[in-house]
Amino acid sequence: MFDRVVRRPRMRSLARVPAVVLPVMILIAASGCGSGGVGDELNGMTRTPPTEVGRVALPDESPGGGGRQTRLRGEEDGLMLVYFGYTFCPDVCPTTLADLGVALGELPEEQARRVKVGMVTVDPERDTPKALNGYLGHFFAPGRFASFRTTDDDELARAESAFGASSKLGKADRHGNYEVAHTAQVFAVDGTGQVLVEWPFGTPSEDIRSDLERLLGDGGIGSA
Amino acid sequence: MKKMMYMAATAAAALAIAGCGSDDGSDGTTAAAGETSVSDAWARVTTPTQTTGAAYMTIESPGGDTLTAASVPSSVAGEAQLHEATGEEPMDSGGSMDSTAPMGSGEGMMGMREVDHVVIPADGTLTLEPGGYHIMLLDLVKPIEPGATIPVTLELEKAGEIEVDATAEE
Repeated sequence: MFDRVVRRPRMRSLARVPAVVLPVMILIAASGCGSGGVGDELNGMTRTPPTEVGRVALPDESPGGGGRQTRLRGEEDGLMLVYFGYTFCPDVCPTTLADLGVALGELPEEQARRVKVGMVTVDPERDTPKALNGYLGHFFAPGRFASFRTTDDDELARAESAFGASSKLGKADRHGNYEVAHTAQVFAVDGTGQVLVEWPFGTPSEDIRSDLERLLGDGGIGSA
Repeated sequence: MKKMMYMAATAAAALAIAGCGSDDGSDGTTAAAGETSVSDAWARVTTPTQTTGAAYMTIESPGGDTLTAASVPSSVAGEAQLHEATGEEPMDSGGSMDSTAPMGSGEGMMGMREVDHVVIPADGTLTLEPGGYHIMLLDLVKPIEPGATIPVTLELEKAGEIEVDATAEE
């Protein structure tokens, strides 16, 4: 699983995987066989039955979203890749989003246009709509991302809970800076609101790309 | 090397940010002091709206050492801190899980915390990498643009000060 030839943007993929994640990924690789469903062939993590998030909606502050309540799920023939994070986060979040950007950049356009990245800020106080859009615009093309932001703590907690995710604000340091611990995996949600696969932090972009190709290609969603 | 060093040994000292000189005289991405060497130093490119960044590298120190601080010029960022990403595993076995098992909020949560030192083991190598240890840059003066060079000064207990140029990468 780790010795495949990779091109430049992915050269560091393995080096980026922290030691604690490696054993998990090896276990994922070792267990990836079985009854023949798509989920069995994916690199990421799947659940039986899948998590249902079809009812979850949050305001989308991206230019195309206009602040409207928008469901965190893909179009009918597509996927939304949902990530809970924040722009002040210098390490885990940009690593994940950069890997997603690489994966999407290498998909055939016919598939890439059916995928949208939806980031939910877990730090709405500092993540203004402008900050969120500027941040996501760095990684993804216009129209290919949604900037979910609510200042209602309960609404955010309900959305997180539906995904089995959570976040927790840390204490402010001497400069007033604070960090937010948050669920770090990416959730791929189809048009019916089912989470088809989750990629833990550190999943190589190549593995994400191949999962997306499998889900969006012949025999995948939108091809029935 | 004409840099004035920022000797952040204590939190009190760290409050007095300032004190980092101009970045002339930096030379190359590998620096050595005695047997200690640093390689693959890079900093992640940031967007105009980000105020924080991170730098990574591999430090090799035969015999072991302790990284006690890192600093960057005040023209780059207000402060540099040693950080560790912390996390729980999203799962403990297998590539799939049964949703009938409690999902447990907090599953796969990651966070980070400041550390006051990082030990380089006696046999070796310390890698600062995404999801692990990193040098967090706070209050960036301007975005870190592709190809830019970020001079980073490391403080090691035995090797003393080491200057490294981190190259900005996506």
